[in-house]
Amino acid sequence: MSKSAQQWLANRASPSGMLACGLRRADGVVICHSREDICPLEKMERILRQFESVRAALVSDQLVPRWWTWTFEQGQIRFVARSDGWLLGLVVRLDSEAMTQLDPLSNEFLSLELGN
Amino acid sequence: MATPTNQPTVRQVLFVDDEPDFLGVVQDIFGSLSAGHWVLHCASSADAALEMLKHQKMDLAVVDANMPLLDGIQFLALLGRRYPELKKVSLTAFATEDRRTDCLAAGAELFIEKPHSMEGYKSVHAMLDDLMNWAPQQGFQGMLRRVGLQDVIQMECLGRNSSVVEIYNEHVLGRIYIEDGSIIHAAGGDLTGERALQRLLALPGGSFELAPFESPPEKTISGPWEFLLMEAARVRDETASQNVSVAPEVDPQTLVTPVAATVAVAETLICSGLGKVLYEADCVDVPGRVQWLKQLARHAAQLAQIAPLGQFDRLELQLDYGRAIAQARPDRLVYVAVAKPPARP
Repeated sequence: MSKSAQQWLANRASPSGMLACGLRRADGVVICHSREDICPLEKMERILRQFESVRAALVSDQLVPRWWTWTFEQGQIRFVARSDGWLLGLVVRLDSEAMTQLDPLSNEFLSLELGN
Repeated sequence: MATPTNQPTVRQVLFVDDEPDFLGVVQDIFGSLSAGHWVLHCASSADAALEMLKHQKMDLAVVDANMPLLDGIQFLALLGRRYPELKKVSLTAFATEDRRTDCLAAGAELFIEKPHSMEGYKSVHAMLDDLMNWAPQQGFQGMLRRVGLQDVIQMECLGRNSSVVEIYNEHVLGRIYIEDGSIIHAAGGDLTGERALQRLLALPGGSFELAPFESPPEKTISGPWEFLLMEAARVRDETASQNVSVAPEVDPQTLVTPVAATVAVAETLICSGLGKVLYEADCVDVPGRVQWLKQLARHAAQLAQIAPLGQFDRLELQLDYGRAIAQARPDRLVYVAVAKPPARP
């Protein structure tokens, strides 16, 4: 996992209300951060892997999302997929500062220079 | 003379499942969640359940769809024949579309996947409680989950009934008067007559009740109901194509949703939980989209089991041409795509 990607995740994906976040490289390498006990590292990893396993089924020629936002009773999960295979996952509480940062973080992630 | 009290009714709930561990969990968790308002009866076989039903009138039977010998689906059908008043729910660890169809066809009011978390148990408890508390009031209360407003009006007209359909949401209260199968008056906000009827039927959301007929203050509508409903549908489609589809506010006086000049609805699909198309507009590949929504329902359930965030509500997709919102609920699959406007010169 590139250092820049790790640093970006550690520095930027930490507003209040962020429960956990993670990055997945195209080769399957995953790095995750847990901000609150409610969503520990292994859960974040499972969330990323689960989404990766179903993403292909939810994409078609007419439907190529830049990002997906899954809303639940108490929070949201944002997945952002880049064409180079990187995937970002952010788990946030509803009505939190982190929720307001989802779009800026997603756009930032899409334009980041990431190594392998 | 008995004095009415505000005490909640104590409900008799029968769980039928061949897994003793699960029945133990049911006793612990639902016993605690219901705070004494449910009396729980647990049976590990259909025979044991039938024996209990002989001695105790139940309000609800929750049946495992995958029991050995007499399986849950057959058992639901049997319960329906012997105890037609009994509300029935199917609970399963292996939810498939076929099984859902079979259970609902056998008389289950709900088909629920066995929960895997405390949040899941809370949701199931709330659903079951809601089901037991639901009862038709005088007249008929609209059950939006299964029947649409237009369907109810159509049924009333076809049956040459007399009734008043009361429609309300947080902004609006409206009434449609039907007498001997003819729509004779509609009122809502400052509007009356056909315009009120059209606007009420175009409301983006809300509830309705079918109340006993009473004479309207005036008669403002005449003409065949078929034509009136068709015209209302046309107006609704026009309105939908101009407006933002997500929770628009409604002017309480004019019943009009504000026109948003910045977006346009690109695609709409509404299906039953089983994928039967109820409404479709500009959907390029209807079967494909229905399949996509079914897959979404499955994936959302899997994600909800992992993520500590409660029940799934919706998926929003950011697309190059706009965005889309999809909902996958047991009773309804919805997909709406909204396009960004072309850039102004």
